[in-house]
Amino acid sequence: MIPIVLYLALAAIIFSIGLYGIMTQRSGIRILMCVELMLNSANINLVAFSSYHHDLTGQVFALFSIALAACEAAVGFAILMALYRMKDTISLDHINVLRW
Amino acid sequence: MAVENLAFLIPVLPALAFVLTFFLGKKLPTGGAIIPIAAIATSFVISLLITLNLLANPEEVVSQSYSWFAMLNIGILVDPLAAVMLTMVTFVSLLIHIYSTGYMSHDKAPSRYFAETALFTASMLGLILSDNILQLFICWELVGVCSYLLIGFWFQKPSAATAAKKAFLTTRIGDVMFLTGIIVLFSDLYKIFNGTIPDGVFILRFDEIFAHISDIAAINANIFGMEVSHITLITLLFFGGAVGKSGQFPLHVWLPDAMEGPTTVSALIHAATMVTAGVYLVARTFPMFIAAPDSLMVVAYVGAFTALFAGTMGIVMNDLKRVLAYSTISQLGYMMLGLGVGAAVGSEAVGIALFHLINHAFFKALLFLCAGSVIHAVGTHDMRQLGGVAKVMPITAITMIIASLALTGMGIPGTSIGTSGFFSKDAIIESAYLFGETTGSWIPYLLSIAAALLTSIYIFRLIFMTFYGKPRTDYGGHESPASMTIPLSILALFALVFGGLTSKTFNTFVSETFVNNFVNMDISSLATLGGYHLAEHAGEEPILILWLPLIMALAGLVITFLIYGLQIVNMDSIVSRNNPIYKLLYNRYYQNAIFTNFVSVKIIYEGFAFAGRAVDRGFDWIVKWFSDVTLEAGESLRQFQTGAVQNYATAVITGVSLLIILVKVVMEVL
Repeated sequence: MIPIVLYLALAAIIFSIGLYGIMTQRSGIRILMCVELMLNSANINLVAFSSYHHDLTGQVFALFSIALAACEAAVGFAILMALYRMKDTISLDHINVLRW
Repeated sequence: MAVENLAFLIPVLPALAFVLTFFLGKKLPTGGAIIPIAAIATSFVISLLITLNLLANPEEVVSQSYSWFAMLNIGILVDPLAAVMLTMVTFVSLLIHIYSTGYMSHDKAPSRYFAETALFTASMLGLILSDNILQLFICWELVGVCSYLLIGFWFQKPSAATAAKKAFLTTRIGDVMFLTGIIVLFSDLYKIFNGTIPDGVFILRFDEIFAHISDIAAINANIFGMEVSHITLITLLFFGGAVGKSGQFPLHVWLPDAMEGPTTVSALIHAATMVTAGVYLVARTFPMFIAAPDSLMVVAYVGAFTALFAGTMGIVMNDLKRVLAYSTISQLGYMMLGLGVGAAVGSEAVGIALFHLINHAFFKALLFLCAGSVIHAVGTHDMRQLGGVAKVMPITAITMIIASLALTGMGIPGTSIGTSGFFSKDAIIESAYLFGETTGSWIPYLLSIAAALLTSIYIFRLIFMTFYGKPRTDYGGHESPASMTIPLSILALFALVFGGLTSKTFNTFVSETFVNNFVNMDISSLATLGGYHLAEHAGEEPILILWLPLIMALAGLVITFLIYGLQIVNMDSIVSRNNPIYKLLYNRYYQNAIFTNFVSVKIIYEGFAFAGRAVDRGFDWIVKWFSDVTLEAGESLRQFQTGAVQNYATAVITGVSLLIILVKVVMEVL
């Protein structure tokens, strides 16, 4: 059996990649992809713990999380499409309508 | 049911009368005067019965107390001191109310008048009955409010409105001192009890206060580098209150102006009740005063000085009522002197002062009511326009002369023949002599003797100018109705014989208050605490001392008779604006100018305005500093709001990371 620490390490690496992406990328699409990465790292954790503890609850949560991620991605893409129509760009540097 | 249980009704009945008269008075004839008259008459009967009972059994003090806010109480206490005051106030007030039905018959708002006098009487009676100093202060303030209402009764007149405000504000200075004294006293007692007060102990009750005098005296305060015992501080503050209410120098300025109210109000407030509240306060807290040597000395000096000072102004006034106002101030000075000499004669001083207070209430109320009778009939109170009034108003003239004889203290020393003023005033002057002998300070005695001469001059000047000679102007005039002359006659009877009848019993009776009726109380040991040794009544005073006050009074009579009766001395040469002394007296020592131009304008307006402006600027600066800092902080924090989602995400991640690290570190440490 593969020790759990490897799963956790994989999840941590994926999470960090996602985090790095969110903080550095300019394109909205890429940032959304990075958010997916972070969510998936969490899913890996959930599934890993679930199988480790022989308890299916974690996997159920992972399924919920995947479904939510899909919804979130759909909404995120919709927002980005709308933004692109308005501003002709999806670079977040140029989208600062929340600013004072 | 024993009459003692009805004691609480004494102030309650007039208070009820106030409410009834206020709401129903307009619908009743003579403004509903019957309500307060009936109420006060009942109070008078109750007071008289209690007093007679106390006279027979001095130990049967009426004392009822109910708790209020755990360590305070409301309650009544009728000891000899309170009993004589109650009887006098209800009696004089009753006569004045009856007289008022005649005097106020032409007024527009008699029901308001009677409602206010009833409330006034109620608060004065409440003041006298109080068994604790806080309740006394509450009634003290009520009396002040009522005097404001009554002095400004004819509020349409600007001068009356001003006088009312002046009376209210001037006495307020004293009231603030009084309240400060109570606060100091309360905190001292609280300290003495170490903050744990047993159930059923009410620390502002007089017996509780008196039981702890020596403890209070042990507390010292450092004021401007001087070690002052707290008992001295408290008593001086109390005396400050008394100075305001009783019109003593330098807070006497309100009293002459207060003559703007109806004359009956002057008789009620400025003869029998409110102005005596200060004397009563000092008498009531006398055990504290006797333990405070400096305070009693101040009382004696202020009293004696006021007696003379007010007399000098009385001799040049041309307004009937103002002469009497200065006379009142002067006589109150005598009463204060009578209390002040307590350093020499002990608790007897209370008896002496109270005796003069009671006698004064009779003859001064009589004087005011006679003046009111003249004013009512003639329509003027300028003595320069009067003259020969005795012919048209014989009863008024005779009663007024009787009152004047009582005021000057005519009587034969060594016998019990004399007007009531003779017994009380001479007793004060003699104890002032004793005071001089014991303590070596003769000034109070000399001032009081000089004041006796002035008393005689100003009052006989008033008599001669008003009642004798030829009328100076053409006035009609008629004798007043019976509702007015009957009270005058009754008061005249009292002014004539009360002193002689009671002089022996009165003093011992009132002194009982402090001899038998308070626990842990021994006047001479308290005096020792204050550093006094009470004088032994060894040996008689020189015979001259006994005769001197009478000689002074007769000298005053002769002088005024020569000037105003026979007109040997031409007054026109003296009474002129060129005579500097006359000018000084006539302008009342320029006190108005000093108080208005210097104290109000220079000190209060400009001084306080300057201080206020400085403080204001300080606050402005602080407020501005705060607003600036807030604005700038906002300005710089605003920069963080970039609108870029990534920056926010970075901030969140940084924050969460820092939190995790923090929690980690804290867990490690723990």
